[in-house]
Amino acid sequence: MTLGHPTHGHDKSGPYFTHFQQRLSASGGESHQVASLEEAAAIVAAHPALNAAEIVVPPNFGQHSRWGAILPLLSNQGITIREAGSPASVADAPAGLSGAELAISETGSVLLAENTLEARVVSMLTLAHFVLVSEDRLVPMLDDAAAILQQLARAGSDQRHYMSFVTGPSRTADIERTLTIGVQGPKTLCVILVADEEEAKP
Amino acid sequence: MTNNYSVTPPQQVVSEETANPTNENQPFEERLEHALSDDNMHHALERFAPSWLASRKDVFAIEEDDYGSDYSFAHMRSTLRQAKDYAIEHQPELIARFKAQAEAAGAIIYEARTAEDANRYIYELCQRKGIDLVVKSKTMVSEETELNYYLEARGIKAVETDLGEWVAQLAHERPSHMVMPIIHKTRQQVGEVLTESLGREISRENVAEQVAVIRVEHRKSFLNAGMGISGANALIAESGTVMMLTNEGNGRLVTSLPPVHVVMAGYDKLIGTFADAMTQLRLLARSATAQQITSYTTFITGPATPGKEMHIVLVDNGRSEMRADPHFKDALRCIRCAACANICPSYQQVGGHAFGYIYSGAIGLVVTPFHHGLEADAGPQSLCVSCNACETICPVEIPLPNLILDVRSRVVEAKGLPWLKKVIFGALARPRLFDLAVRLFSIAQLPVTRGSNYIRPRSFGILSRLPGVRPIAKLARWRSLPAFAIKPLRDRVKGQVSPASRATVGARFSSPVITVCYFAGCMIDRLFPEMGEAAIKVLQACGVQVTFPQKQNCCGLIALNSGDRADCVKMARQTITVLEQALEQSKADYIVGATTSCVVTLSQDYIRLFEDLQQQEWLQRARALAAKVMDFASFVDHVLLANGTKLPVRKSDGKAGDVIVTYHDSCQSINCLGLRSEARHIIQEALGLELREMPQSDVCCGFGGATSIEHGDVAERLMNNKLNNAGSTGATVLVADNPGCLMHLRGGVDASGRPMRVLHLAQLIAERLE
Repeated sequence: MTLGHPTHGHDKSGPYFTHFQQRLSASGGESHQVASLEEAAAIVAAHPALNAAEIVVPPNFGQHSRWGAILPLLSNQGITIREAGSPASVADAPAGLSGAELAISETGSVLLAENTLEARVVSMLTLAHFVLVSEDRLVPMLDDAAAILQQLARAGSDQRHYMSFVTGPSRTADIERTLTIGVQGPKTLCVILVADEEEAKP
Repeated sequence: MTNNYSVTPPQQVVSEETANPTNENQPFEERLEHALSDDNMHHALERFAPSWLASRKDVFAIEEDDYGSDYSFAHMRSTLRQAKDYAIEHQPELIARFKAQAEAAGAIIYEARTAEDANRYIYELCQRKGIDLVVKSKTMVSEETELNYYLEARGIKAVETDLGEWVAQLAHERPSHMVMPIIHKTRQQVGEVLTESLGREISRENVAEQVAVIRVEHRKSFLNAGMGISGANALIAESGTVMMLTNEGNGRLVTSLPPVHVVMAGYDKLIGTFADAMTQLRLLARSATAQQITSYTTFITGPATPGKEMHIVLVDNGRSEMRADPHFKDALRCIRCAACANICPSYQQVGGHAFGYIYSGAIGLVVTPFHHGLEADAGPQSLCVSCNACETICPVEIPLPNLILDVRSRVVEAKGLPWLKKVIFGALARPRLFDLAVRLFSIAQLPVTRGSNYIRPRSFGILSRLPGVRPIAKLARWRSLPAFAIKPLRDRVKGQVSPASRATVGARFSSPVITVCYFAGCMIDRLFPEMGEAAIKVLQACGVQVTFPQKQNCCGLIALNSGDRADCVKMARQTITVLEQALEQSKADYIVGATTSCVVTLSQDYIRLFEDLQQQEWLQRARALAAKVMDFASFVDHVLLANGTKLPVRKSDGKAGDVIVTYHDSCQSINCLGLRSEARHIIQEALGLELREMPQSDVCCGFGGATSIEHGDVAERLMNNKLNNAGSTGATVLVADNPGCLMHLRGGVDASGRPMRVLHLAQLIAERLE
């Protein structure tokens, strides 16, 4: 697939998501593109990782302006929402849900940039991690991400101290180069790209 | 190169249980012997190399296909090299910027001059905070400073949380590879280590079960540790950010969960901007594990949560000396991908415990003297076969082979040459003495060669018991040695070519007449004159006028390869002078050699040598000479065939019964001169012969100059791999264009009786001349 010379604009549909999906899938992660939070909630609820019907979310996720509204939708499907506390309380929870700042088409990565430990452990210690990201935050190249990292790392009151590109599940090939998924981090990574709100509700 | 390594001498910290033959504190010879006897290891490394190489190529190709040539390996590595060079050049400004930004974000920076200094800072921090349990994610610099020993000797437990590092730690071993620490272990061995250490039965076969153990075992450590220690893949100056790449997820836990986070990083990790960091990302995982990116790439700018402490320990430990050295500063570009280990043929045979000290692979041979002293490198550096493969694959274009030769010459300066080499190189540098010695030897060898072209083990008979003969007989055990020619090439060509002053053969095919000055190289001159005769015959048959300067002598490569620069300089000056005179008299257009190793010395090594010595006059003369030098295959393909000259040969009609060729790419030909298509074009198009590619045609045959004598076991294995690969094609003729390889391979074929002829490309063509 030829994407041509990378642009710094945001092409919401088309080749960037396809490429994102290919790259993430090559790294063992799954991804979906949906038009609404309802669809996103349906994907989460139907996922095998939700067998226990419980999901851990960062503290105050319900108040998140973009993603908070997904919690009642999940509750309606019979899923218990639990806010993350200490690392020990989150360790090996069957599923976690959080939001990402960015998705990068070039590598199939998402950028997580939470400043609190409780928010971060959702992506570190759960067994399956679901990530919501706005469609308009899908950028083509790592270079686009670099510009955003630069802004987010800049000194100031909203400086992000801890950011991560996450590309697929935790993995190792240390023993006889046998690929094994899920060492210390999640065994499943599921990224859901959600269409912009205005477009979703014309 | 001085060594300010002032940490407690390693010998004093080795406990009984760490004194195993993989530990770098054991004598090199013991490590090497152990490594050579570890079949699991070299089989694992040999299996890994080709599959890694193929996946790596694919993963770079995907990026280039998607985004164009600006995203090719060649372009990206040149970009990253520039970014790293900038950072090395502007280190003081970048450090100041990094420190200011990181401190503004709340981090505490400590600059450690030595390993001891870094270790002490971390230990004292533990003491102040009452910390007795530390979790670590993989950091090579802490291996470099031997931090774990330091802490454990003072009662602080340090737990490695990277799976491979942890298993190595449990086995009281060092990682044998910078990226895959336990590539030398089988699953059975891993199961054994886990079972023994944990006191319960862990599967010897099921890798998934073994991996699952670490999640359970480490959870408690993560939650209870007072400190997490990580390394850094880059220190981004513009924002004071630490970048770290991991796959397992342990790195994010180490840096997040404990209340204190310590980053250990060498100054070489500095880079300017996030944009530079992205270029590094594009190259690092692809080079290391053929992944497009690792699972986790983390950017930390100051303590992440209120109340957390973040310390950044910047480690010098020899890096300032590297930075001050005009050549070795290039090694500070290294991003620790270990591609130079993966591709290294010797590394594949002996692994990282012998091929290196704490840092392994080609880069390990280069940096060890600065971090751990020259003595620590004396043994390992001798394993380099100078195949140059590492330089072709390095993602930051470090001139590794040349730097290794520099280390070798420093070892020789410090320890002196072995007496035999001293005698041989001394003689080579005195042309008349050498000529006499070789002529005498060619007669003295007769009782052993009995008139054949070989010195074979069985031909020694009772003589092999003589003390001086025994080592030679041993060398010939698996590879028949070539006999010295009674009549060297210089004698054979008299009367057939002009002696460099007069033109003899006219132009039959090409006009105007091309004149070449033929440079033989000692091997062709003294051991294989038939190869030189063939080359000259082919050139003349194409209408080329060939001259042969009788005063030519050894180019000095053999001395250079052995770290003997002094004798090499003598031979370089001699050779330049002789060839200048020959060019002047014959007005030759080219200097052509059928020995690509010597061609590389004439066209590349001399320039670097005189650059180093800052001898401007000789440098200019070397450059002028280099412009005229060309190897035989390039000359035939690019000068003759490309300009319409037809080889006057019987072209094969493709019918059965004709020879089937397989081609070995000599290291100097492919890695230094970039030859790939030339010989193949000649064989297939000009001669019309069937060419069957062997697997790994571009991997070293094991000759490696003096290495095949010093490390015969390594050379034998590499040769057998090569001959097996060649044999697997069903070809009847094995062809190459460098007599070093041909000597090695011919000897191997003769000793093993394989049904295959080994020929120089020139011989293959000459056989088919009309």
